[in-house]
Amino acid sequence: MKKRLYLELENCIGCRSCLAACTQCGGHEERNRNYVYDVNPLVNRQTMPLMCLHCVNPACARSCPAQAIQVHETGAVLSALVEKCIGCQNCTVACPYGIPKFDTEQNLMYKCDLCIDRTKDGIPPMCASVCPSSTLQWLTDEEIDEKKKQYHLDNGKWVSSMPHLEGETNVKINLPGILQGVTKLF
Amino acid sequence: MQRDKFFKEINNLTHPNEKLIKTHCSYCGMQCGMNLRVNTATNKIIGVEPRYDWPVTVGKMCPKGVTAYQQTNHKDRLLKPLIRDDASLKGTKEGFREASWEEVYDLIAVKFQQLQAEYGKDSLSVFSGVSMTNEKCYLTGKFARVALGTRYIDYNGRFCMSSAAGGFLRSFGVDRGSTLPWTDIHETDCLFIAGSNTSECHPTSMFRVWSVQERGGYLIVADPRETPLARRADVHLDLKPGTDLALANGILHLLIEQGYADQAFIRQHTNGFEETKELVKAFTPDYTSELTGVSVEKIIRAAEIYGKAPNAIVMFARGIEQQHKGVDNVSAYVNLALVTGKIGRPKAGVATFTGQGNGQGGREHGQKADLLPGYRKITNPKHVEEVCEVWGITPEEMPQAGVSAYEMFELMEQKTIRGLYLLCSNPAVSAPHLNFVRRALKNLDFMVCADFYLSESAEFADVILPSVTWSEDEGTVTNLEGRIIKINKAQEPIGESKPDWQMQVELAERLGKGKYFSHLQTAKDVAEEFRRASKGGYADYYGATWDKIDKQDGVFWPCKDETDTGTPHMFLDKKFYHEDGRAKICALPYRPPAEEPDETYPLRLTTGRVVYHYLSGNQTRRIPFLHDMCPEPYVEVHPETASQYHIEHEERVRLFTRRGESVYRVKITEAIRKDTVFVPYHFGHEQSINLLTIDALDPISRMPEFKACAAQIEKLEQKKVQ
Repeated sequence: MKKRLYLELENCIGCRSCLAACTQCGGHEERNRNYVYDVNPLVNRQTMPLMCLHCVNPACARSCPAQAIQVHETGAVLSALVEKCIGCQNCTVACPYGIPKFDTEQNLMYKCDLCIDRTKDGIPPMCASVCPSSTLQWLTDEEIDEKKKQYHLDNGKWVSSMPHLEGETNVKINLPGILQGVTKLF
Repeated sequence: MQRDKFFKEINNLTHPNEKLIKTHCSYCGMQCGMNLRVNTATNKIIGVEPRYDWPVTVGKMCPKGVTAYQQTNHKDRLLKPLIRDDASLKGTKEGFREASWEEVYDLIAVKFQQLQAEYGKDSLSVFSGVSMTNEKCYLTGKFARVALGTRYIDYNGRFCMSSAAGGFLRSFGVDRGSTLPWTDIHETDCLFIAGSNTSECHPTSMFRVWSVQERGGYLIVADPRETPLARRADVHLDLKPGTDLALANGILHLLIEQGYADQAFIRQHTNGFEETKELVKAFTPDYTSELTGVSVEKIIRAAEIYGKAPNAIVMFARGIEQQHKGVDNVSAYVNLALVTGKIGRPKAGVATFTGQGNGQGGREHGQKADLLPGYRKITNPKHVEEVCEVWGITPEEMPQAGVSAYEMFELMEQKTIRGLYLLCSNPAVSAPHLNFVRRALKNLDFMVCADFYLSESAEFADVILPSVTWSEDEGTVTNLEGRIIKINKAQEPIGESKPDWQMQVELAERLGKGKYFSHLQTAKDVAEEFRRASKGGYADYYGATWDKIDKQDGVFWPCKDETDTGTPHMFLDKKFYHEDGRAKICALPYRPPAEEPDETYPLRLTTGRVVYHYLSGNQTRRIPFLHDMCPEPYVEVHPETASQYHIEHEERVRLFTRRGESVYRVKITEAIRKDTVFVPYHFGHEQSINLLTIDALDPISRMPEFKACAAQIEKLEQKKVQ
């Protein structure tokens, strides 16, 4: 059964375990490829991860003049092929979220490949495997539909990827505010 | 074993020429399951792979856990024994030379025997720790009493779990850190978490905590800081550091007044209710608010939620325990569960977040000044007899009870203690009032330190023994639930390093005590003797064989024999461990912190952990990822307080108390009380916040008051721009 990365931003505790785990993925050369931000550090401790959303029609790949960014059959948008990448950084500029990172020494782009050596066989990516706060989860579409039913705002809309994001994404996001729709037990 | 909603069938990723060794993390009491990746050609640990089938943590790890494997083959590992001949260099890294095991054993034996001949048996001491297996903790107790024959042994749990132990013993008559398994947490209706920054100190509990709220349950958090946990709480009780006892009494008063007391439970299963009810009457919401600084509305709301909740779990940690009334704080929070009868059934109970990996098991089996294996008392002649039978000594040969960890430093200062065998601990960073403690260490005639890195405490040693990391030995650990689990060996010890139990056996032989130790040739040998030594004690591990631990995903103690599957839930029969079978509801008068703010020291200083570091930081500060994320300590200050001092974010300021001072980078945040400043304690030398903390000890647990003292900030002179 196909599973997706699902982000529940409200849960993030800022431990950056996802970044540590990213370095542990076999194909990642011990460099992490994602981000965790302090949302308002002088005020509170809210944090949020920024992961590649693996767009269905990825701007990074479209903007690449060398066609170095391939989309895997699972939908994962892969890191630039080393032999094709020309180091122009178009992808970083084109990505609405600034995800692709750049190695200035090797003049190469690198980005999240959704731990393709794991996810191609249905094993969750390292970040979602270790995330201790359920911010990053690895779910089936049915489970994500359940989340949709559970979390909705006063206006009836799911606090989620659409329409806030640029286009359709393989990774689904639940923006802060998930507890708004929860009915208290007593 | 039970599988809950978080468990998913997932295969591990395996690489060619690699094997996975299932084990647990080396750090905190969560003891997250993990697989170590071992290269089958080099037989070296090369990485980590989640252990999805571990029921407590289902593959989840914090950044310390993910990078824990990097300790084993780290460039800073001590590979050979070291001797320092020039004692004037104590307190520095200088002057050590490599030596053979023969030479260091000979030197230690001669020095220890000389000291004991001249100054008596008790001139030696052992200072230990609980970040190691039960087998090592057990043998360290035996090593001190049988091989050295000294009464002075104690351990770093006095800076960690001793108040929880004292409180549980007084309230329940038994000290098991959690009355229920962690797999109950997400199914309860209300979590009341006091003095625990769970999100940073025990992050892998968080998916269960958030799940309570997602189900519509409630989260109440008592903390002077708005931690990531408190940020999402339904009620955040933002109290002044050191006022927890008033808060707990105030909540208890409201629970009784509002009719949430379970009279039948109180009548049948407890003592002390009437007296306690009278005492807490004074703690009206107004008075409680005045003492704690928490608003009346929040206090009332918290009591209402906890009272109404069908099931609730009260949880706490060092925030309430590291105070000079830590034991009282623990009993006061246990009172909430006893008065409302929310205990002794699934999904309802009390738990402490154990700080160190084996903080639970390590305190039960004889490293504490007055304890013997199985939680037996060294002051109880019957207990002494039982242990003597296993050890093969006579009761007359058993030393008396010693003194607590911090008090050992006082005896070193006075030259009552002249020799020290230190292992698994770094008190030159983790003890309070460090100017005094470092002086005491320097004052020793002879000091041995066993560690796998050259810690700040090792800098005071005459001899350093290279020990192994957790991944190079095997044995059991008891996690924060009271579940006995198995640590497995993934790699042979590097260099000439040895496990602590082996050093102690070989050293005992040098000291002429071989007949009590020589039969212990493997970790398993120690385990077998240890199980027998615990048999019949109330922390009974006899039935917890390594086979059973493997088959059952751990065994909860007590586990008395081969057929016993262990005890995940405590008190299901409503029988407590006091002689009359009743729990004790304790009447606890409020005491303020030992040092209250005044004109000269107007701020309240509190200390704690960050997610990237563990204890004294001797391990985690060496891991590149963790170091990069938090390379140095800082002082958290509220913006209004900062503006009073005219200090800015990122500026360096002098922070000082009556005992010491240091310079810290300012981190401005609204997520802390205006009257409180916070500094993490994981750092050494002049960066240690424990230079400033107070050595006020709890009268029962002898726990120092790390969590509250009076401090002042001073702006540094601005250097003129050239």
